[in-house]
Amino acid sequence: MAARENLGEFEHIVLVAVLRLGEGAYGVPIRREIETRTGRSITVGALYRTLDRLEAKGYVTSWFGESTPERGGRSKRHFRIRSAGLRRLRASREALSAMWDGLEPQITAGS
Amino acid sequence: MSTLVRWLLCLGRLVASEEALGDLYEELASGGRGKWWLCRNLLSTIGTRRAQAATGERRPEMMSNIVQDVRYSLRTLRRNPGFAVAAIAPIALGIGINTGIFSLLDAVALQPLPSPKASDLVSVYQQFRGVRERRINGARSMFSTPEYERYRDGTLTLSGVLAYSDSQKVTLGGDSPREIEGVLVTCNYFDVLQRRPVIGTGFTSANCGVPGAPPAVIVSQALWSQALSADQSLVGQTVMLNGQAVTVVGVAPEGFDGIDITKAAFFAPLAMQGVLKRGADYLDPYSSWLTIIGRRKAGASLAAVRAELAVIAQQIDQQQPGRTTVLTVSPARSLSLPEARRDLFSAATIVLAAFAFVLLIACANVANLLLARAAGRSREIAVRLSVGAGRRRLVQQLMTESLIIALIGGAAGSILAWWSFQTLLNAIIGSLPGTIPALRIDAHPNLTVLSFAVALTTATGLLFGLAPALQASRLDLQTLLNRDSAGAGRRTAGWLRGALVGLQTAICMVLLITAGLLLRALYVAQTVDPGFDYRHVAVVAFDLRGPGYDQHRATAFRQALSDRLGSLPGVETVAQASRIPLSLGRTQTMFRLPGSEQWNEIDINTISPGYFPLIGIPIVRGRSFTPADLTGSAHTVIITEATARRYWPSQDPVGQTIVMAQDQHASISMEIVGVAHDAQLSQIAHTPTSYMYLPAGASSQTGLSLLIRSATDFSALASAVRGVARQLAPGLVVRVHRLEENVTLWRTIAAVVAGLSGSLSLLALGLASIGVYGVVAYVVSRRRREVVIRLVLGAKIRDVESMILRQTLRPVAIGVAIGIAGAAAAARILDSILFGVSPFDPIAFVGAPLFLLAVAAMASLLPTRQALTGDAMSALRAE
Repeated sequence: MAARENLGEFEHIVLVAVLRLGEGAYGVPIRREIETRTGRSITVGALYRTLDRLEAKGYVTSWFGESTPERGGRSKRHFRIRSAGLRRLRASREALSAMWDGLEPQITAGS
Repeated sequence: MSTLVRWLLCLGRLVASEEALGDLYEELASGGRGKWWLCRNLLSTIGTRRAQAATGERRPEMMSNIVQDVRYSLRTLRRNPGFAVAAIAPIALGIGINTGIFSLLDAVALQPLPSPKASDLVSVYQQFRGVRERRINGARSMFSTPEYERYRDGTLTLSGVLAYSDSQKVTLGGDSPREIEGVLVTCNYFDVLQRRPVIGTGFTSANCGVPGAPPAVIVSQALWSQALSADQSLVGQTVMLNGQAVTVVGVAPEGFDGIDITKAAFFAPLAMQGVLKRGADYLDPYSSWLTIIGRRKAGASLAAVRAELAVIAQQIDQQQPGRTTVLTVSPARSLSLPEARRDLFSAATIVLAAFAFVLLIACANVANLLLARAAGRSREIAVRLSVGAGRRRLVQQLMTESLIIALIGGAAGSILAWWSFQTLLNAIIGSLPGTIPALRIDAHPNLTVLSFAVALTTATGLLFGLAPALQASRLDLQTLLNRDSAGAGRRTAGWLRGALVGLQTAICMVLLITAGLLLRALYVAQTVDPGFDYRHVAVVAFDLRGPGYDQHRATAFRQALSDRLGSLPGVETVAQASRIPLSLGRTQTMFRLPGSEQWNEIDINTISPGYFPLIGIPIVRGRSFTPADLTGSAHTVIITEATARRYWPSQDPVGQTIVMAQDQHASISMEIVGVAHDAQLSQIAHTPTSYMYLPAGASSQTGLSLLIRSATDFSALASAVRGVARQLAPGLVVRVHRLEENVTLWRTIAAVVAGLSGSLSLLALGLASIGVYGVVAYVVSRRRREVVIRLVLGAKIRDVESMILRQTLRPVAIGVAIGIAGAAAAARILDSILFGVSPFDPIAFVGAPLFLLAVAAMASLLPTRQALTGDAMSALRAE
């Protein structure tokens, strides 16, 4: 059931960011990673909404870490990609590149 | 970290999850993020708090819950048509009349101007202090011509600024002269409003220069088709306005009657002011007579316009030492004049409050109905609670039901209101006396009225639904499921019911006492003797500026007319007066007693010597005016008895002198030669205490009307008068009416107000007695078992009855007491339309409460009787 869920563009980006950050994946770095790489600004709420959705679909798992003073005594929520998430990501990427195959000259010519 | 940020983070706990708040904190601590960023991100976290639960299941469930609730409510309403009607009808009535009244207010005052992109139009008014010389030809908050020019030339935020005058009455000459109303406008009037004349070019720069420019006029399509026979070749030809030839340069677009509350039949350049009103000059710097409307440039906000115009106002202030001006710049509406808005809104507040009271009674009724029904459903509710329905969910379902009742009622009421109030408004406008100019009122339903209806409906649903819903869901499950439903005595519900009945009674009491006062006032207005003899007197009024008469010709004409009318068959006497008794409006001046610095306001009426015998007011001391007083050198006055008592309490006023203000600098000494009997001269049932008569000398000829006492039939007399006037002055419009109509007008006002308030209070009474009846019926039915046992044990029916009555009438009595206090506070507002009845009139204040108590007693006795006369044994068995 979970494997047939579609992956939205933003979900795709967030999932890759979690994968990329590995052990250090929690709210602040995930948002920074996306912001510096894509150049688009995202809100805290939007990010958590997406992460919650990804968790509900079984693509990521999360756990709470220790609370730290620089976070005003609040704890971090760490994320890690699950194997189902990895499979979904791979399938998404393959589907996209299959669709894009051979179209490179057209989009570069158009720009 | 600033305090504000700390507070925001604290508040964040309400919406944001632990990890999100931690992230926000970390970002802020690392710097580079402002409080706006924090606000935006905090807002974005709303709804993530219980994110895990919300995703996947919860939201769809909420939607399906709502759909389910709506279906369930509609089903229950269909199943209980009696309940549905009892709940929906009062709400429909309440919302209907409120929406109707609001739609009238909206039509009169809140409509945008008839112009494309009307939201860009702003109206400008001013309040100023420290200005000594000022003439008011309209309203004080209007502008003088040079002031208008300063704003027009100085603004950069407005793309165009127009100005127009108050409505002007002029005589349109021709075969059958008639009086028409129009406005004086700046030449850019049609450009700024973006309504081009449909025929003709409109004003050209030649029409718009200095006074003396070739007179030109644009006529409305209504005037063009009615009086000018829709003549296509009219443009370029001349019409006669107040005896002057004026070129028609255009016909206004279809349905465009100007932008003021009165319909304009013509539009003339400001420069024509001297032509239309001979002898008056408003173009000077001292006359307040222009309303300013500007069109905002794209991108210029209202605040920017305000700021910019305020700077110009300051520049004007600087050139007139001592002056301070405050501008009112607001989106232009059909009624923008601050003075008029203030009057209208304070009157509308009273009316709307009265109507809202009725809606409140209706709400209390429905709330009571819901309470009773919830009690009947308490077992069902208890079962649902015990099998795991959340209280929230239950309240949500009960509230859905209330909102649906409100919605159906609101929709039905609004449709009814739009239909009936439009008819009503047309009837009112149609029945206005001819002396009141045609009004530009559009009462079509629009978005403002719709929003009002929707808001009122929602508020109503919440108001009557919330308390019963909370009440119903707060159940003691244990007791309820174990014992029978009737036994579950819920004291708070009983208290709530009592409070609702008390509230209804209190409101009803206020409305009933008010209606009682107004009915008393109506009786007074119908029966009072005004103190003068108004029967068989005709009033002849005309405006001698219409045919363009000067002072000399006016005097000659009036003398000739008086002589000719006096010799008509059946005419007994003819007299002149500047103010006709009981006509609307008044003329006032200031006077002081010699040796006193205190100036007093006084009403004046300029009359000819024949006035007193004609109108039947005797002179009680001194003498009447003689022809010698009319020469203008005698300086004599006659005062009324009440005036004499007020200013010369224990002296003989005859022979005393007063000092009367001529204008701002000069004053003149006048001698009192007589005292006239009191009469109700400016308002019915009200004797003025500051009123005097001046002799109609040669210098006061322009504003006089004629009074004719005649034994002949009025219509024959009227046509004879018109015939004589036509011979003497062919271009003059003459209005003839009975003096009795002035008295009738006041009686009609009293009758309309009393009728409206009477029917409103009867409606309230009806709703309130249904409320009392319902509550008592419910309480009695719940206590049936107890009552039957009492009867079986030998209690007398009468005793049981009075016991129940005592208990049920307690909240009614408390409500009556509160209502009397409320009415005493409210009655003072009505003073001006009570026609001399005291606002604490004992008949109203004793009669109305007794009446209400009697009705309430009946409403509670009926269900008690019904319950007690049934077969006692069968009732007992049923329990």
